Amino acid sequence: MDKKTVTTISYLSRLRIDKEKEEKIVQDLDNIIEFVDQLNDADTSDVEPLTNPLEKTAKTRSDQITAKNLKKELLEIAPSSNDDYFLVPRVVE
Amino acid sequence: MSWETVIGLEIHVQLSTKSKLFSGGSTEFGAESNTHVDLIDMGLPGVLPVANKEAFYKAIRFGLATGAKINQESSFDRKNYFYPDLPKGYQITQMTKPIVEKGSIKIATDESEKVINITRAHLEEDAGKSIHDLFEGKTGVDLNRAGTPLLEIVSEPEISNAKEAVAYFKAIRQLVTFLDICDGNMAQGSMRCDVNVSIRKSGDKKLGTRAELKNINSFKFIEKAINYEIDRQIRVIESGESVVQETRLYDSEKNETRSMRSKEEANDYRYFPCPDLLPVVISDKELKDIKNNLPELPEEKENRYISEIGLEESEAKIISSSKTMANMFEEASSKTDDAKLIAKWLVGDISALLNKDNIDIEESNLTPENFGKLIKRISDNTISGKIAKSVLEEIWESGSDVDEIIKTKGLVQIQDESILEEIAMKIVESNPDQVAAYKSGKDKLFGFFVGQVMKETGGKANPKSVNEILKKLLK
Amino acid sequence: MTIKYKTIKEIKNMISQKEISNKEIIKEVFDQIQENEHLNAFITLNKEAALKKSEDLDNNPIDLPLAGIPIAQKDLFCTKGLRTTCGSRILNNFIPPYSATVIENLENAGCISIGKTNMDEFAMGSSNETSFFGNVENPWGKNLVPGGSSGGSAAAVSAGIVPAASATDTGGSIRQPASLCGITGLKPTYGRISRWGMIAFASSLDQAGPMARTAEDCALLLNQMCSHDKKDTTSLDDAIPNFEENLNQPLKDKKIGIVKDLDLSSLDNEVVKVYEDSLKEFEALGASLIDISLPNLSLSVPTYYVVAPAECSSNLSRFDGVKFGRRSEDPKDLEELYIKSRSEGFGDEVKRRILIGSYVLSAGYYDAYYKKAQQVRRLIKNDFDKAFSNIDVIMTPTTRGPAFEMGSKGNDPIQMYLEDLFTISANLAGLPAISIPNGNIDNKPTGIQIIGNFLDESSILNFAHMFQTSTNWHKYTPEGVKE
Repeated sequence: MDKKTVTTISYLSRLRIDKEKEEKIVQDLDNIIEFVDQLNDADTSDVEPLTNPLEKTAKTRSDQITAKNLKKELLEIAPSSNDDYFLVPRVVE
Repeated sequence: MSWETVIGLEIHVQLSTKSKLFSGGSTEFGAESNTHVDLIDMGLPGVLPVANKEAFYKAIRFGLATGAKINQESSFDRKNYFYPDLPKGYQITQMTKPIVEKGSIKIATDESEKVINITRAHLEEDAGKSIHDLFEGKTGVDLNRAGTPLLEIVSEPEISNAKEAVAYFKAIRQLVTFLDICDGNMAQGSMRCDVNVSIRKSGDKKLGTRAELKNINSFKFIEKAINYEIDRQIRVIESGESVVQETRLYDSEKNETRSMRSKEEANDYRYFPCPDLLPVVISDKELKDIKNNLPELPEEKENRYISEIGLEESEAKIISSSKTMANMFEEASSKTDDAKLIAKWLVGDISALLNKDNIDIEESNLTPENFGKLIKRISDNTISGKIAKSVLEEIWESGSDVDEIIKTKGLVQIQDESILEEIAMKIVESNPDQVAAYKSGKDKLFGFFVGQVMKETGGKANPKSVNEILKKLLK
Repeated sequence: MTIKYKTIKEIKNMISQKEISNKEIIKEVFDQIQENEHLNAFITLNKEAALKKSEDLDNNPIDLPLAGIPIAQKDLFCTKGLRTTCGSRILNNFIPPYSATVIENLENAGCISIGKTNMDEFAMGSSNETSFFGNVENPWGKNLVPGGSSGGSAAAVSAGIVPAASATDTGGSIRQPASLCGITGLKPTYGRISRWGMIAFASSLDQAGPMARTAEDCALLLNQMCSHDKKDTTSLDDAIPNFEENLNQPLKDKKIGIVKDLDLSSLDNEVVKVYEDSLKEFEALGASLIDISLPNLSLSVPTYYVVAPAECSSNLSRFDGVKFGRRSEDPKDLEELYIKSRSEGFGDEVKRRILIGSYVLSAGYYDAYYKKAQQVRRLIKNDFDKAFSNIDVIMTPTTRGPAFEMGSKGNDPIQMYLEDLFTISANLAGLPAISIPNGNIDNKPTGIQIIGNFLDESSILNFAHMFQTSTNWHKYTPEGVKE
């Protein structure tokens, strides 16, 4: 994994890597990827991926409104809000 | 050089479920900000989605009505990106196994009819709303809409011009409203669309590079945005440059599209199966029940109106074109025996009033009961057609009951022939010149006498009787 | 009268014999917490509410299965009105407006939540060294790690502060710290316990479970923790047995699968000896050992380190400083808000895993890593399915060795990841597994892992309990063997 890839995935993840840690992180990531490359030892042709150990189908719900108005509580736990909205710095479209 | 345009539409249809796709939050439009936000819609740590079965049923209705393949087992994936109105940092959508695949819909423009294939229609959750212009230096986030079920309908790139694109959008809108899966309200954003536009040299097989026009929500703007974009791409290519694959925003005030390149940066959504949601299965019985309860669709209605009720083809087409119009027709018809007269009024005077006010019949003051009554009063000769027009105008204004209007304004038709004869006689006597002219062959003057009688009676005379009396007097 | 090192069973008895009041129990718990402050096992205490609840119980005794039993809750479960940090700076001040189903279940059964335990940040770690709130010390020795990620829960039980703790296990986070701290820890079948209110690390692997001094206590806790929860569609509908019922079944004619593909050569000789002694003990109890093959087992760690980071990279996107949790000071624009809030809010290990996750899901790498790993995951599950056709349980050591020194593996993530070598496969396949104390090397406890078939917690509890009726390893405490 090169620095450019690390820059791209850092951006996708909205993470900044400190300059002094960068080399170590790139090295760690590289080692981890090399480690997981062992997976290539397995023959997986015609094997269906297993995304959840429960090989079942989902339970669903009927179309009913069960939620209460939590406006006050939810806005209160937000790091920035006014009486009506969650607030973030102005987004320019 | 001649250019050929290739257009594909992605239409986001808000499904009219009561609750959200994955939570018990209400989908009601226009509520106070952040009052319909469940713990799940907020994406709080530790919460889990539970799928709303009704959203699947509604999506399946669409699939059946477009002759599509219904995937009885469908699954959800996550689309990862950051935005303030996307609470979890990912959108739950159906990437690999959508509920609906491979359908088609017929569209008609002034020039032609054509079938547009639908690649897929999948369920996904809507985002909240960001409000950019309300607070100094801040964007406000309202999560009421977050989690509202959407059906994203993706067309094949088979649309050739802006007019067809509009026709396609209209056809989809008509269909989803008839199916009762979406209210079709464009102003409230119940239907929104992304348009993929590319051009290529006429005859070329290979598709050109496309631009995606985001989030357009009116018929007018779809047409304008596409036409602007086609011109722009032609200009770009003819000046020797090439079109960039990007997302562009249509600015309706300036009538132009502009690049949103900021949004495109490292645009890698990292789709993967949502580990919180197991595949959803629709049983054969559920599918059969939906099929059996599918409402009558526009084309079926049109055919029935012609063959069973005997409407003119043009009338049947107009009435069946919108759900609210068809509802008005069918409900008002059930109140009278004269469906044909109902149709004439709907297509004529009522359509004219709707056009003038630019509203939908549902938004007018006219109820099917009152409308039915109006037609009944015409058929039973209580009022004349002409008086009926003024009654309709009064209903349009006030919504008052037909009989009330007739009573308070004294509009009951004069049936007593002796009264009419007396008035007609007076008119004939006081207009000797016209009588002479008429008798000398100026047949057209007959209308003058009718008009005078009508004027004298305030329009309340039964026109048929007036005709007969005048014919007798002027012989 | 003291409840230190007492089991739930014993404390229940003390309460019913009126040897101790509920309030005395809770007061002692908080005294013990203070005495053991150096362990750093707790992040947030629930003292006032806990004392109040114990007083209420004294005034109005209610007949509930776990009435008055003090329990430490892993700080990964949302607790309404009580700060929940997940060991992270980004949730430093997060007070949830709701409680996890498992917390409600335990409290409805009479348990008194006394506080929230320290843990590796977002459960990512095997030594409790990644917590924003500092290392937890293993009660068995200064500078020894308690294991992770449920290090605080394990230390609190191990030190005798509480008889029970809730915990979660994504790749070994219950079993490994249980082993390193000399207690019993059970990871149930995936879906047995609702995940509603558990802050997700890797959704398809995460499972809550109990930590206690004995298998019997784990059964008592599990009886209350399980439920059919409509709020979690991966919560199983299958019948929930009474997990106490099967505890005393004789092991005669029962079969233990021994994985012949497992290479124990990299382990301490002593660890292998302890393990083999335990197997002999099981044989003495009437069970027989059968060689089984799990040919893809060696790929479980690499599989896990694709699947878990992939899911975590997405699960942790909601921590963006917008709607809850910590936001960086005065971000100049939205991008800076995201990047600074997340970069300041997450520690290095969490960042590392998010980056790996983003990488394996990104265009061009999805098939080679994510899809491949999920395919290998199926192979691993198939191996288990085949093996369980003619055995009752599978046994392995829980860890590669006893508790290690703090900082000794900190620099090499892969060495740390290999800590979970024996535990991870049960998460990938969704199987229940338990770790029980089975020895002591240089005054450091070791554990043996018993893996059961899907939904068969009863069998592993039975094996574990029978072992504990014939051995004393579970009675070892940092202060000597309990009589």
